Amino acid sequence: MDLFAQILVNGVLLGGLYAIMALGLALVWGVLNIVNLAHGAFIMLGAYLSWSLYTFLGIDPFVGLPITAVVMFALGYALQRGLLNLLVRAPMFNTLLITFGLEVVLTYLAQMVFSADFRAINPSYAGASVALGPITIPVARLAAFGAALVLTVGLWLFLLHTRLGRAIRATAQNLVAARLYGVEPMRLYAVTFGLGMALAGMAGTLYGTVSQINPYIGSALTAKSFAIAIIGGLDNPLGVIVGGVLLGVIESLTTLYIGPTFADVASFGILVLVLIIRPGGLIGRTRTA
Amino acid sequence: MRVLFRRTLPLACALLAAAVPAAAVHAQDIVLGASVQLTGPDANTGRYYKDAYQLAIDKINASGGVKFGGASHKLVLKLYDNQSDINLSVRQYTQLVTQDKVNLLLGPFASAFVIADSAIAEKYKVPMVQGGGASDQIYARKFKYIFGTLPAASNYYGSTIELLKQVQPKPQTVALLHADDAFDMSVAKGTRDLLQKAGLKLVMDERYHINSTDFSSLLSQVKSANPDVVLVAGLETDILNFVRQSKSLNVSPKMYSMTVGVPSADFRKALGKDSEYAFGMTAWLPSAENKDKWFGDGEQFAQAWKTKFGYDPDYHAGSGVADVEALTLAMEAAGSAEPQKVRDALAKVKFDSEYGMVAFHENGQIFDIPQIVIQIQNDKVVPIFSGKGLLAKPVYPVPAWNAR
Amino acid sequence: MKLAYWIGIPAALAVMAGVPWYGSPVLVQFGINALLIAVLAQGWNIIGGFAGYASFGNSVFYGLGSYGVGIAMVQWNLSFGTGMVLGVALAVAFAVLIGLPVLRLRGHYFAIATLALTQVMAAIVSNIDLAGQNVGLVLPPMNDDTMFYELSLGLVVLATLTVFWLTRSRFGFGLIAIRENEVGAGVMGVNTTLYKVSAFALSGIFSALAGGIHAYWITFLDPNSAFDIGVNVKMIIMTVFGGAGTVLGPVVGALVLSAVSELLSSEVTSVASLFFGFVIVAAVVFMPHGMAQILRDWRKAGWRCFVDNIKAYRL
Repeated sequence: MDLFAQILVNGVLLGGLYAIMALGLALVWGVLNIVNLAHGAFIMLGAYLSWSLYTFLGIDPFVGLPITAVVMFALGYALQRGLLNLLVRAPMFNTLLITFGLEVVLTYLAQMVFSADFRAINPSYAGASVALGPITIPVARLAAFGAALVLTVGLWLFLLHTRLGRAIRATAQNLVAARLYGVEPMRLYAVTFGLGMALAGMAGTLYGTVSQINPYIGSALTAKSFAIAIIGGLDNPLGVIVGGVLLGVIESLTTLYIGPTFADVASFGILVLVLIIRPGGLIGRTRTA
Repeated sequence: MRVLFRRTLPLACALLAAAVPAAAVHAQDIVLGASVQLTGPDANTGRYYKDAYQLAIDKINASGGVKFGGASHKLVLKLYDNQSDINLSVRQYTQLVTQDKVNLLLGPFASAFVIADSAIAEKYKVPMVQGGGASDQIYARKFKYIFGTLPAASNYYGSTIELLKQVQPKPQTVALLHADDAFDMSVAKGTRDLLQKAGLKLVMDERYHINSTDFSSLLSQVKSANPDVVLVAGLETDILNFVRQSKSLNVSPKMYSMTVGVPSADFRKALGKDSEYAFGMTAWLPSAENKDKWFGDGEQFAQAWKTKFGYDPDYHAGSGVADVEALTLAMEAAGSAEPQKVRDALAKVKFDSEYGMVAFHENGQIFDIPQIVIQIQNDKVVPIFSGKGLLAKPVYPVPAWNAR
Repeated sequence: MKLAYWIGIPAALAVMAGVPWYGSPVLVQFGINALLIAVLAQGWNIIGGFAGYASFGNSVFYGLGSYGVGIAMVQWNLSFGTGMVLGVALAVAFAVLIGLPVLRLRGHYFAIATLALTQVMAAIVSNIDLAGQNVGLVLPPMNDDTMFYELSLGLVVLATLTVFWLTRSRFGFGLIAIRENEVGAGVMGVNTTLYKVSAFALSGIFSALAGGIHAYWITFLDPNSAFDIGVNVKMIIMTVFGGAGTVLGPVVGALVLSAVSELLSSEVTSVASLFFGFVIVAAVVFMPHGMAQILRDWRKAGWRCFVDNIKAYRL
């Protein structure tokens, strides 16, 4: 029983990490209709950024989160304005391809700059744990879970209650009408993408404190983020929490009861099922694809 | 016209070459070809091989090169980056043999690559000496043109299990975690037999997918099964994640030992203090006892390596250099660089090197080099046990994570 | 114009068929690789170019074809031909069983679903003992590059003829109708489900055949390389580059991009992937409809056709 409870807790905490990984992707996808295959590469960049800040300037990764966020935001903004804006009205398919190309480029740039050596962000508290009865809770994961909640709820509130957030949602729903109301879409798209990348960057920081970093972690992270975003639903940012926790718990239980090599079967299998049965995601409105 | 030109050109060259006296400066260079992972996920280890091949070739050339037929032949390296893509490496080896016309082949890193690439060596009958793959599958096809300097995967845990018989309090239970790639599956298979023969009880035996990032469920299971010893066979990246996460979940067996990662400096750098007390193994240590014709001995080799490349060598480096030395000595024994003759000479070769004694079984695998059990103590790699006797005192049982 | 096709294509084919005799072994190797990708691109063209369903799941068919040959030859000691049949059978079964539910999705949801399916299949196969789990299978060596080359060339011809037939048949028109307006097509009497699943299966057959040949040629197979998404992306890019929905576009695109990639890999090795990434980005921005469209528009607008392409799609 203890083992089951521990595994459950592991799954939930893992879910928090997953949620924050998927948040940026869900935002960009749900709002801009950009399916960003390079999302994992941005997570990787954020991780390297935090690692560099920690290794060369001694800045603690959590303290450095805002810096990472700002840098990644700027990067995302520039990328959208410079490159992705060119494809806004193209079939979605084109952005799939271009972001794939971006992923290849970013991965190799990372390899050239940082080499393939694996790194880890290792502040002194990275391995600490708290004991709750028979359950051990890793501190770093708990912090990541907390960060995920804060960021997700924050984003939700932002989209719902701020002017900028409402403008973003308006543009997503109806570009022409939004323009008529004075929304300047180019800047808005860039801001949204920048926001998405900032979130990816922060996810990278948190990821780096619990796992090792190398230039090639991108594609696996993208795949995972996709699964979470879709399972949770793209309409509402809170969906990623649902998607993330569900996936985390299912993977952990699968590892326990069936075997570690079946975890991927479970997560992607569920993704396919959700897509077939309820493409809008678990807490989205059921819209046909 | 083109065909005519292509066919007559080599003949013309041969005539020209024959016309030049044998003692001339232009003795033919010997080209060694290899396709190695310089980019892509395996690049972290692949670079050891590029550096090893280059260093060995430079050193051998510096002392006159390969000597046979009354002349000294310079060694030249032709290296391609296979981008960690097996299919590309197969095509590159084909290119090396058929287009670049290299004399002999050096291997890639990783068992999966060697399995695929050795088929090319066998197909074109050009011997390949590799120091990157240890899986039994490499030798199962009974190919004649593949030779390997890494000891058999199935015996990797041999020395460690011998050590377990000697420490106090005597361990009874073992957990085995292994990745599902060719090498680690071989290790696991062999380890199970060894554990059974040693009378140790296997309380947990789990196979995980390579490149897993999350070990929390497995670790929780380990904690619940409470074994004395945990053995992990996986990739360096897996092992790093494993150690970090075992700390964060406070999983503290009396000993945990990994097949790879522990000997390298990256491991200690990435983990910092958390690398302390980890057990690992290496087939090679920079020992002054390993005498080498070109480098002096193992210690001097390690010095030369560190000076040239700026990082410490490990067994990948040692094995890569031994490959070049094996080819060189085989050519000298055969008195030629002709593939068939070199192949036969390789089968009989026996020499000492910075890597240890190199001689090959009939199937091409090196005579077994027992793994040396090591432990990280005070941020240094300390050799503990070499299969024959204790070299240093191990810290056993390892202090629990929250007691450090 | 027509005459050019009637003379040019058979001539080109004759030249290509002769490569094993007058070309170097490396050229033959490159040829096999490029031709197999051309088959994949042409196969994808059927479901992606004609029916408009951007499939990321052709890797599954490719993998199934590879494993069909691998399991048949290694585990059951059957012949290569039998293995190919097995691979095709697996592919068709998959296309029908999984295609039915998945083809109900549209646009990017379909793409994501097929992408997920690739991951699922790779994960499932890495757990199957018969398939060698994650270690993979090692096939018996076969030293006949000429045979592989001619086989691949034959397959390209077959695939292209199939696509050509599509441009002239009711089935093909039905697919185009589905692509342009699926609801409308249904209203007009097109059995969209049957057509879509058939297109998926047809596309799958070619992918499986290519996978089977590739497995035997490389003599090595594992879930990672068999179900590699990169293969799928490559076939999409080459089709798009050459011109999706055209007859020769995918083949030309495949051959050209393969040549570029191979050149980069052998000359500039370490930055090869980087350049290839740039090529993809540039191609999507400047020529989203492929080379076929550029060739057409060039006559009218010269360099401006690139700028027009950007203007058409940007904000």
